Amino acid sequence: MSLTRRQALKSAGAVIAASSLAKPAIAAKDPIPVGYLPALTGPSSSTGVGINRGIQLAVQEINAAGGIDGRQLELITRDTQSDPTKAVNGAAELTRGQKVSVVFGPVNSGESLAVVPLLARTNTPQIHPCWVDALTDPQKYPMCFRNAPTNQQIGSAANRYVMEVLKRKKVAVISDTTGYGTASVNAYAPMLKAKGAEVVYQGNVDAANPDLKPELLRMQSAGAEAIMPWSVNAGFLSRIINTRGQMGWDVPIVGQTTLGSGQTKDLLEKPEYWAKVYPNNFRPVCYAPGGKLSDRTSAFLDRLKSAKIDMGDTLLWWIALGYDSPRMIGEAMKNVGTEPDAIVGYLNKLKGFPGVYGDISFAADKHDGYPDDEVVMVEANSLKDGAFNLAPGYSA
Amino acid sequence: MDTPMIQVRPSRADALGATSTFGVALPFLVLLVVGIAFPLFGGGYWGVIATRACVYWVLVSGLNLVVGFAGQIAIGWVALLTLGAYTTSVLVAGNVTPELSPYLALAIAAVFGAIFGLIVGLPALRLRTFYFAITTLGFATIVTQVALAWQSVTGGGVGVAGPIFPRPFDSQWGFYYFCFGLAAICTWMTANIAASRFGRALTAIRDAEVAAEACGISKPALLGAVFLFSGAVAAVAGGLFASLQSYITPDAFTLDLSVLFFIAILIGGRSSILGPLLGTILLTVLPEFAAPLVAWSTFLYAVLLLVIVLAMPGGIAELLDFKNRRPLESGRAIVPRPELLTRLLAAPAEAGALTLEQVALAFGGVHAIDGLDLEIRSGQIHGLIGPNGSGKTTTLNVISGYYAQQSGTVRLNGTALPVLERHRRAHMRIARTFQTPRIVGSASVLQNVMIGGTIDGQGTFVESLLSLPRHRRDEAMLRDTAMLALAAVGLERLASVRADRLQHSELRFTEIARALMLRPAFLLLDEPAAGLSAEEIGRLGALVVAIARAGTGVLLVEHHADLIFDICHHVTVLNLGKNLAAGTPAEIRSHREVVNAYLGG
Amino acid sequence: MVASIVSTGLAIGCIYALIGITYNVMFSASRVFSFTAGTLGMLGGVLGSLFIARLGMPVAVGFLLALAGGVLLGIVTEIVAVRPVLKSLDQHLYVLSTLALALMVQQFTAIEWGTEARPFPRLFDIARGGFDQQFWLPMLACAGVIVGLELLYRHTLIGRAFLAIAEDTYAARALGLPERSLRMASYALAGAIGALAGFAGGEMLLAFFGNGPMLTFYGFVPVALGGMGNNRGAVVAGLLLGLFQQTANFLVGGIFASVAVFTVFIIVLLARPEGLAGAAVQRRV
Repeated sequence: MSLTRRQALKSAGAVIAASSLAKPAIAAKDPIPVGYLPALTGPSSSTGVGINRGIQLAVQEINAAGGIDGRQLELITRDTQSDPTKAVNGAAELTRGQKVSVVFGPVNSGESLAVVPLLARTNTPQIHPCWVDALTDPQKYPMCFRNAPTNQQIGSAANRYVMEVLKRKKVAVISDTTGYGTASVNAYAPMLKAKGAEVVYQGNVDAANPDLKPELLRMQSAGAEAIMPWSVNAGFLSRIINTRGQMGWDVPIVGQTTLGSGQTKDLLEKPEYWAKVYPNNFRPVCYAPGGKLSDRTSAFLDRLKSAKIDMGDTLLWWIALGYDSPRMIGEAMKNVGTEPDAIVGYLNKLKGFPGVYGDISFAADKHDGYPDDEVVMVEANSLKDGAFNLAPGYSA
Repeated sequence: MDTPMIQVRPSRADALGATSTFGVALPFLVLLVVGIAFPLFGGGYWGVIATRACVYWVLVSGLNLVVGFAGQIAIGWVALLTLGAYTTSVLVAGNVTPELSPYLALAIAAVFGAIFGLIVGLPALRLRTFYFAITTLGFATIVTQVALAWQSVTGGGVGVAGPIFPRPFDSQWGFYYFCFGLAAICTWMTANIAASRFGRALTAIRDAEVAAEACGISKPALLGAVFLFSGAVAAVAGGLFASLQSYITPDAFTLDLSVLFFIAILIGGRSSILGPLLGTILLTVLPEFAAPLVAWSTFLYAVLLLVIVLAMPGGIAELLDFKNRRPLESGRAIVPRPELLTRLLAAPAEAGALTLEQVALAFGGVHAIDGLDLEIRSGQIHGLIGPNGSGKTTTLNVISGYYAQQSGTVRLNGTALPVLERHRRAHMRIARTFQTPRIVGSASVLQNVMIGGTIDGQGTFVESLLSLPRHRRDEAMLRDTAMLALAAVGLERLASVRADRLQHSELRFTEIARALMLRPAFLLLDEPAAGLSAEEIGRLGALVVAIARAGTGVLLVEHHADLIFDICHHVTVLNLGKNLAAGTPAEIRSHREVVNAYLGG
Repeated sequence: MVASIVSTGLAIGCIYALIGITYNVMFSASRVFSFTAGTLGMLGGVLGSLFIARLGMPVAVGFLLALAGGVLLGIVTEIVAVRPVLKSLDQHLYVLSTLALALMVQQFTAIEWGTEARPFPRLFDIARGGFDQQFWLPMLACAGVIVGLELLYRHTLIGRAFLAIAEDTYAARALGLPERSLRMASYALAGAIGALAGFAGGEMLLAFFGNGPMLTFYGFVPVALGGMGNNRGAVVAGLLLGLFQQTANFLVGGIFASVAVFTVFIIVLLARPEGLAGAAVQRRV
């Protein structure tokens, strides 16, 4: 099944329609409603579209295998259109209207910041992949879990790479003006300083600005030895890469994972500009130095291929992340049922759930499940089938 | 809702529209009951949607006065929502001050919103429509940019947590009732304004700005008050919005939201409270019914806007206006009752004169009037005739302050009238009518006439907002006077009819009634007989004679020589901006040049 | 550094000026400002990218088709959003109808084309230099339009008819000029100019749906400052705006640059509502 964004939308609609029409026919037991709040349209939708392919596949597989104790998972999707207002409406509908057992997402931090406190009030277990640190808090949001790295982990990996592998001490940190971008710059610049680096440039720039040359010239004249961009906007990132290329400035670019996305690649003026660009990625979905994927991941890739899921315009880690989320919840429901407290109790003790994206472990006082060591940097121009080679300097 | 809101009580002589206060208030009462009982039959999810509709309405109710009543195209009103949301959230979070109570924060946000509403709105006084629309869009962008940039206070792109109101408003339904209560209060207040002299003055500024000025309505003061109010409620809506969202980032304040507010008003219809209220509910709820279409919602709003503009400019309000779809009685006649004028113009103005001395005005080298002398005395009718382009209307426009004469003086009882300053003419009891009647088509005839008495109200904008006694006294006084004026010109049977349904001749008499509301010392009539039948001209003549007899000095600009010679005490003949002749009708009739030139021998 | 500010500033300024001329050409024919002016620019970029990059057409064909798209939207604007509301000009309904049309086109583009910025093809296969085609193309387009309009207005019959309509609609109609066809032709011309702006600036602005509102705003600034209907004023004001914006971008950074531009715009407009080069118009009663 090859999904484009529009088909994804239609299928989301179809799921809703099917759920209301065909309910009695599905199984002897009622289906288990699970909610999903991705951004499938709007300006920050590429992540949501990628993750959506994984989630849809996992739910299909679980249901094809007989569901949870004979009960089908019914995935109820509400497109947030990258708009926090719609995300709040969607969260209310899923929890209060559809009475879902669990909510996946939102997948963008701006929406999660609004939705997480709301879901906490309705006692609905939630799993989201948003990186902003404040988005898990076992005290305030005891039912909210993150099966992805935190900003802290992402930034640490990038900073470590710049300082320890590339041995650069003067760093320029730049972002667009979105919530994610500004939060990242604010968090990472002090981290760099704490490790002894000199942040010679720090700025938030409007992503629509057609000309970033003044910014890069400022970085250059400040003596920057590495550029660390934090943005999910492919247009913005490609302008940084292109400007560096036009200036003939030989400086590494280390930062956000979107630096390596196909959309960024499409916007490059010359393919060779993509050299020396090191985006974040995740070891389990990267090619090891021999060009091999791990067994678990190559088996997953085969499944994707047989399900005819398009890899050309997205990244493997998004699909893997999406794929892991329903499986993890399915695992919990098989073991302890669908009661919220039971699910949360199970997740609180989860140890090393074997995800394609990474092994997830939670504890009652730690709802950030992703292991530090799996966050790595990769070579952007090695993109193949949505996955990358590890950046130079990582061991196998 | 106990609404003294629509106070257009049926007039004693109301034959056509049987409007009752109850009938007008009924839809609001239904909404009130539904709103109060909503938790009984709405699920928790619909509670969020209903709360959202209430929050949006708090903003739209104020914006409605700006867009729907005053006709100012403020597209970027989301700027005020953003400001209110951030002010409330930041004050409650204690980023700049000690942590404040949410109520206090909301009140401070209202003050900020009022000030900022004034700043966003005031360019409307100087700029053309499209320019103003663009500047409001600019403000919307700027506020978001500032929220992004001012990280230490607003949290920048990361945002800030919204306020949580203390018990009992911290639960879902508690918060709903809080928002619903504020929405109900906003409905009541804006309905009070709509039914006040301020509301009518706003529609006059929108549809007949020149007439509004002639009635003494000060656009800056009125729009200023409306922008203050509208900004304040928008900011309050922002505080509620932040609480509903639980967390705000700049991306929550999209232009789409602004477009939604704006379109809700236009779908609802201009100069209506109920229409935009229904429009807001519709636009908030509609996307929830059409989940697969949700990505297209803004597209559909735009289609709706285009359809409304092209096919149904009156919006929902006009659809619901059943009363004005009943056919009007045909073959109706205007039968003035001049005897009522003595009551209407009860206090005869002290005798005086309006004089023009050597007044001259040229437009780019063409002498429109060139050294004109004229004297209009109290209680007398002064006719002004001449061929087209001889400067008759220009003379009238100089007297009423639309043009500044380049030399010469206009004196009222010996004191020179200030040049321009047209809205002060009404305070000097100088009233006028227009060659093309300038009326508010969507308002009733009675309301149109009441506009003429705007400056005689005593209550302030705030008193009207809260429907305090002085406001109610003003309204009763204006309505009684207007009914009397309508009866005097012979239109009282049409009092409750929409003015745009009237015939041309009826509009002329409506304008005269409106001018009479000022109890004018001097009345300037610009071709009042144009388009009237012979019979109507006769009645008009009798009416004008009675007006003069009651003590008012009348300047009558006319082409109908018969009317002039029948009723005028003095006649001035203009040619190329100069006095060709002046004297009694008898003298003019025998004036050789005049006869040769204009009276066809 | 200065070279970068100047080249980008002038190039962006030319795009703003072209959008300003788009506003003006529509205004001259109908006394109406249309919110679709910026949308036309957006469409020029998106259509160029669609025809040349995605569908692989030759540059010349893609260029002509993109202009044709602009012409089409221009004509649709005239028929759907302008002609029906011209009768009641004083009610300013055109503000709403053109806004509605602009929103429709923009949302349609967002959904069908996507909300991501997409690449715009390189039009001439020549090596990148310091003064690249992405800078000189908008300037060339702007110069071409100015010269073209001068020739049209001065030396052709239809151009003089345009001027006559702009000068005095009633008199022009009295002279027997086909006012309606001329208005339609003006809107078609404006559509082509708007699309040209987006096409020439495609490499710089990318094929991005969000360019519509941005150009609608920044393209109006030259109109407001240069005086309504004054194309030369629009070019001068557009270039100044571009330079000012890029300088502000460099000096105070991205976020404050737009605040600075807007603040200057508001102050100038409030001080001189008729624009820096315009003259006050006496109102008729």
